Amino acid sequence: MVFAMLIVLPYIYVYQTFLESHAYDLLADSEKQLYDIMETLTQPFVGSDPENELDAIKGTTWSGNFFGFMISDPLAGLGQFAAGLSMHQPLLLAILIPVLLTLLFGRFYCGWICPAIFLYELNTNIRMMLKRMGLRVGSKGISLNLKYYVLALGVLLSGFFGTVFFASIYPPAIIGRELFYAIALGGFSSGLVFFILTLLFDLLVARRGFCRYLCPGGALYSLLGRYRVLRIQRIVAECNDCAKCNAVCELGLDPLNDGFGQECNNCTACIAICPTDGLEFKFQIKDIAAQGPGHLGKKYLYPSAEDQAAQVE
Amino acid sequence: MQRELKKSSCDTIAPSVENTDRRNFLKELIASAIALAVQPVHAAQNQPSIRFLRPPGSLPEKEFASQCIHCGQCSAVCPNRCIRYFGLENGFASMDTPYIIPREKACILCMKCGDICPSGAIQPIKRALEPIISKVRMGKAVVDRQLCLSWQGKTCGVCYRACPLADVAIRVGLLEQPHVLDKCVGCGLCERSCIQLPQAIRIIPNYG
Repeated sequence: MVFAMLIVLPYIYVYQTFLESHAYDLLADSEKQLYDIMETLTQPFVGSDPENELDAIKGTTWSGNFFGFMISDPLAGLGQFAAGLSMHQPLLLAILIPVLLTLLFGRFYCGWICPAIFLYELNTNIRMMLKRMGLRVGSKGISLNLKYYVLALGVLLSGFFGTVFFASIYPPAIIGRELFYAIALGGFSSGLVFFILTLLFDLLVARRGFCRYLCPGGALYSLLGRYRVLRIQRIVAECNDCAKCNAVCELGLDPLNDGFGQECNNCTACIAICPTDGLEFKFQIKDIAAQGPGHLGKKYLYPSAEDQAAQVE
Repeated sequence: MQRELKKSSCDTIAPSVENTDRRNFLKELIASAIALAVQPVHAAQNQPSIRFLRPPGSLPEKEFASQCIHCGQCSAVCPNRCIRYFGLENGFASMDTPYIIPREKACILCMKCGDICPSGAIQPIKRALEPIISKVRMGKAVVDRQLCLSWQGKTCGVCYRACPLADVAIRVGLLEQPHVLDKCVGCGLCERSCIQLPQAIRIIPNYG
């Protein structure tokens, strides 16, 4: 959805160029085709002055402008602060909404908005295909804390170079920018090379390795979402210790032992796969401490006298 | 069996074991990345090799680099499509920052980029004569009298007619000979429209 929007926006830019030139007859055939498609797509949303009205939505998930509201990634604000030791006040307002939402819902950005997720999940599928073909794919376990060091290093480098360093190593920013370059301006920049390297990292080192171990944005969101209000919890009475939740977790967390922590992005994959509905959303500030093995599992291992009687019957 | 074969064939090419090989490769990769990242910064500081303009209302160059968050919105709203983005050619610090090459496409001073910029690197300026003259400092036009047709005796005057601030920023004398005044903001429309090749009027950028 977000990814599709990021593809449509550069095309709107191109369409606006054609509109402003007021010379439909002079366009090449392929350009005419694009013009017609975009005209039918945007017709319901614009009035009498399309070339200016289409300016209403601009930008990417890194920093965008929606009908006059500016929304920016908190990492952009942090990077600007690190680079110049000051923050532009409109930018402070722009990062306010994402920060508040993160405080409430945790690292929701990673699971629901980040446009790079789409490509990373496709990459996970490729990974599974390679595995099925018998090729070796890396699945190393690195410390989940590595990304906080990347965040700190990024802050230091931003200060050192005097530039917002995160923009060139943060996949959501790269994706939005590269799509705009590719469709609207032609060509690509070095960010794309970096992004392909992260895809290779996912293939060769660890599943979803970049999100898990390296992403500075994920680190910032994790820190902000440490005391989030909405979290997933295990109902120990309903759990049968099948460990499917651990296998499906994209971020390498440990739902089976109540190890959600600050890094859970509430993506609901574990809830969806749980065969006994043993996981649910709760409004709570802290995780419950490890509750030990699930009770359903205990029932199979050490059946009580009544259960045994029921089984015999 | 197959794996063993592979390994022996590998040994004939490179005597080192696979593991140290990879470590060396990573070492070299990181070293070259650092070298690449550090070297252009100094290059950019010492000699800006490309003559480019920042969008109207931009902060001085050093502050601009620290404020810009590389979001790409200024180009997305530019109705004249003149704002482009750097790759690595001007150094690491100005990667993905906006620039204008006036000979390719010059700024029409619509001031939309300042309005949309979320980071404050491009300051919002009202689109009126007074604020534009006092606040926009992209550069200043300079006429090369050896190249200029009017100064060589052939009446031209194209730059004067292209200027959005005609008679404020540029004045013509005898035979339409251009004289650039102090109030020139450096939008580059004169350089864009100059019919000489190479252009006889150029913007000398003001990086502040």
